[in-house]
Amino acid sequence: MSELNLTDNKFIQFHQKIGFRFDGVKYYGYKGDTIASALLRNNLKLIGRSFKYHRPRGFYTCGIEEPNALVQIISEYSEPNTRATIKKIYEGMEIESQNRWPSLETDIGSINNIFSPVFPAGFYYKTFMGPHKNFWKKIYEPIIRKAAGLGKPPKEFKAVSTHLHHNVDITIVGGGLNGLIAAKSLIDTKYSVLLIDFDDQLGGILNNSNKVLSVNNQTPMDWISETVKEIENSKNIKILKNTLVTTYNYINHLIAVEDKFVGSRPLKDKVNSTLHKIRTDQVILCNGHIERFLSFQNNDLPGIMLCSSFEKYMCRYGVIPSKETVVFSNNSNSESLVFSLIKKGFKPKAYIDSRSGENIEPDLFDLIRKNDIPLYTNSLIKGAYGNKKLQKILVEDSSGGVNEIKTDFLCLSGGINPDVHLFTQSKGLLDWDEKDLTYKPAQAFQPTITLGSASGQFDFNAINKEINEKLVIFGIKPVQINLELNTSHKFKIEKLWEVLPQKQTIWSKSFIDLQNDVTTKDIRQAISEGFDRIEHLKRYTTNSMGTDQGKISSINALGIVSDLLDKKVNEVGTTIYRPPYAPLSFAAIAGRNSYEYYDPERKSPIHNWHITNGAVFEDVGQWKRPWYFPINKDETMDEAVQRESKNVRENAGVLDGSTLGKIEIKGKDALAFMNLIYTNSFSKMKPGTSRYALMLGEDGMVKDDGIICKISDEHFIATTTTGGAATVLGCMEEYAQTEWPNLNVYMNSITEQYATFNISGPKTRNIIEKVFPEVNFSNEAFPFMTFQFHEYEDTPIRILRASFTGEMGYEIYVPSNQALKIWEKIISFGKEFGLKPYGTETMHLLRAEKGYIIVGQDTDGSITPFDLGLDWMIGKSKKDFLGKRSLIRSDTVRKDRKQLVGILPTNKSEKLEEGQHIILDKEIKTPTPMLGHITSCYQSPTLGHNFALAVIKNGQSLIGTKAFASTPELKTIEVEIVEPIFYDKENTKLAS
Amino acid sequence: MLIIDCPYCGPRDQLEFSNGGEAHVKRPDGSADIGDREWGEYVFIRANPKGIFYERWVHSHGCRKWFNCVRDTSTDEILKIYKIDEERPKLDSFKNNVKTPSGEPNLGSGNFTVKK
Repeated sequence: MSELNLTDNKFIQFHQKIGFRFDGVKYYGYKGDTIASALLRNNLKLIGRSFKYHRPRGFYTCGIEEPNALVQIISEYSEPNTRATIKKIYEGMEIESQNRWPSLETDIGSINNIFSPVFPAGFYYKTFMGPHKNFWKKIYEPIIRKAAGLGKPPKEFKAVSTHLHHNVDITIVGGGLNGLIAAKSLIDTKYSVLLIDFDDQLGGILNNSNKVLSVNNQTPMDWISETVKEIENSKNIKILKNTLVTTYNYINHLIAVEDKFVGSRPLKDKVNSTLHKIRTDQVILCNGHIERFLSFQNNDLPGIMLCSSFEKYMCRYGVIPSKETVVFSNNSNSESLVFSLIKKGFKPKAYIDSRSGENIEPDLFDLIRKNDIPLYTNSLIKGAYGNKKLQKILVEDSSGGVNEIKTDFLCLSGGINPDVHLFTQSKGLLDWDEKDLTYKPAQAFQPTITLGSASGQFDFNAINKEINEKLVIFGIKPVQINLELNTSHKFKIEKLWEVLPQKQTIWSKSFIDLQNDVTTKDIRQAISEGFDRIEHLKRYTTNSMGTDQGKISSINALGIVSDLLDKKVNEVGTTIYRPPYAPLSFAAIAGRNSYEYYDPERKSPIHNWHITNGAVFEDVGQWKRPWYFPINKDETMDEAVQRESKNVRENAGVLDGSTLGKIEIKGKDALAFMNLIYTNSFSKMKPGTSRYALMLGEDGMVKDDGIICKISDEHFIATTTTGGAATVLGCMEEYAQTEWPNLNVYMNSITEQYATFNISGPKTRNIIEKVFPEVNFSNEAFPFMTFQFHEYEDTPIRILRASFTGEMGYEIYVPSNQALKIWEKIISFGKEFGLKPYGTETMHLLRAEKGYIIVGQDTDGSITPFDLGLDWMIGKSKKDFLGKRSLIRSDTVRKDRKQLVGILPTNKSEKLEEGQHIILDKEIKTPTPMLGHITSCYQSPTLGHNFALAVIKNGQSLIGTKAFASTPELKTIEVEIVEPIFYDKENTKLAS
Repeated sequence: MLIIDCPYCGPRDQLEFSNGGEAHVKRPDGSADIGDREWGEYVFIRANPKGIFYERWVHSHGCRKWFNCVRDTSTDEILKIYKIDEERPKLDSFKNNVKTPSGEPNLGSGNFTVKK
């Protein structure tokens, strides 16, 4: 058993030994230990290397504010940047130190420290500018990334987390002394209350220090367990332990993350963390305070720690990091540590205070004298020295003499700050307290109450008054808590931000931000270069920009800056505190919306048939669509598409078009409404006919297309593109509700209610006559662009004669639950005519041969109907429709707009590609004027060569001329600009 | 994250809604007769004030209804929600703590953290 253990501790289970590995070496700790407390027990003080200079670092704190002790947890998917001061150990845990090579003891990167004169503030911005713009990306950045930095990204990570929503009346953040009193006073009131604490033990300061000897004549431990029991037994209060509130949003919306596996190895299939999303009427912030450090030469050496952290290791974790420590302070917060040390029999090696003797708390002064502890008042630490650990300090005493003290440990206190992070996230305002030298909450923006040290109330004796005053709005009974204190109840501090560094050796530095290796010299340099605004200074020096957000140091920086600029700290201001309070994992944020649940998958009603028949799927928005149907494993997509499209042209093919958007429009004014939404005029259309229609934005650009079936003047069914269905419905709703609320019209999506099967090819009629023998499919009875309702074995179906392939074709609309029956019938009856299913790629090829556009592929939101050569679709006699006025804007009537054309390679064996630019010159010189680009390109089995659609400037008048397509290799292919139609230009097939 | 009080469904999380930009922008009638400038302003120009703003929302993952809202863009405070056919509330019926054009409210804008 280690001699550093304090075995009378109640939180650590000394009978339960836990083995773990750090950098490959096996150590033992106890149940309840953090990585930090367990390693300190093993007298290990060097934990990592610093970010920029690779300086040796140790444990500086005992909590979430830790700047140095970040480790990689190998046994948890190599989770990086874990704070060793809060992560609990478990049997078999594997931990590695970060940012060192080859080892923690011998780190080659520490040479950066010797070269540090060339790494001043703004170094990266100033230095890596040339000689070529690629140097940053290719050479400098990779090297810097390797040398400077935190941990390595996790491996084979599989997030398992979930989200939980809460709606409560009151949320108490922090279960320390004030949080517990507040919660206790709310027991059995009408309010639902959530009490949240980051630790697995409620009690805060009562557990972490010896400041309070008794509460209401009970020991703190007894009082806590009794109070917690009462709260747990209450009906209206729920406690969340191991939960960190990271975010305080607008309208009292808090985000908190709960670790479900504290002190045990996370199970693979169990939820590892829960993200709590809390809506609450009132927030009570009792999240306490954080101690500051002080800047002096080499204030980063392993063996230097904050006073309250040292005391927390003793009280909360039963370990004394060192038996002979020196204490240095400028305030009364160190008092309790000295009491604790003497009580345990480890009296400090020396006590150094920047205050004069009469300003030191009298009790403390007497205690130090009584125990013969060397006392240095009015004294400052000039520097700390040692090789990879603290070995000695130099103290300048009141007479100006310099004393050397040999010690391996130094406890430090530079004052305390209320933890205002959450308060400022909520947009509350802070105010500088000249007496306590810190920013305190001044004015809340939301219904927020701050209690205890979180509100800047450092006086224990004022607890009752504060709680009773601030919680009176809840109508609670007045609280009376009697505290017996170990220390003076009032907080006193004397201004000290830094001890000015004296003679500089290369190695000696005075740090202001330990995590980002920012020195006080960097602050001075930034100010001398004109970065004297605190937000600029922060970004230029990277001060307080680490994962710890400068929790122990950012106020010191403000103090130093205010002195340098000779301004008040309030005038300097603070940088803005932004969420999160401490890093939280993306896994927790993602929750269950990850992997297969990341985005919903939409499937056609006959999806399983496609799977059984070997379809390869393509994602179209959220839909899974059959891309092509290979006949065997060896058939490539190109081969399959050539075969499928040839079959449609020669025999017949069937496509599952169920994903097409379908919108039903009804109402007395449906006709007027449709005339306003689409460019076409539907007035003269006979019921039972259909029309290809375009929808424009108000800017005159093509937004969507589809076929509109008119059942009557009061009833239409519109189809939309697969991806555009929601947008089109949304647009219709918007105009119906906001622009034309006088129109009596209703619309709804029926996309998922109906499956759609498109049969096309010369043998379509033979097949469809067999499937629906009672229907007359002759040209006279069922002409092109008409539709009919029929019944098939009691299933109502709608048959539309239309085509997207250029062949004669029919679309069959079937209720989704009957879809498979009809599909299988079509497949089996079609067999003798060579009918084969085809996928979206073949559909694209066939429609491109016919010159039919796909909105979003051949158009991009900057193409008008005229650019597409679709002038005939504009209902010119209509007074108004969406985007009509824009069609005569100066921009839309420009002559040199990009227009849709066809492209054929002059040499028929050449292959074109989508996205290639069309240019006029054979030789590519930079810059080359670009006419436009290829939007669709396929190898046509019918033509026997490549063809493409393109949008090019002034394209319609360039038809018949030559141009060039440029390749990524900067070669050019000669092409011919032609009409955008390659198949059946006379439209004889459609009506055959 | 806002809580938006849908006039048809009641208060719901902002997640359920989509913003529709400035409200009370009237679509010009008989659109062929009006000039390029007027039409261009309708299509492309929208106000974006700091302070009180009349805007549209749609309960897109709820009742699909559009409605209007008055919001202080500098503090995100929702001052009024009203149905699309209700009259536009007068600007002076709201307290505007923003000294336009570049002033900031002392509390809530998030641009200050310190009381001055």
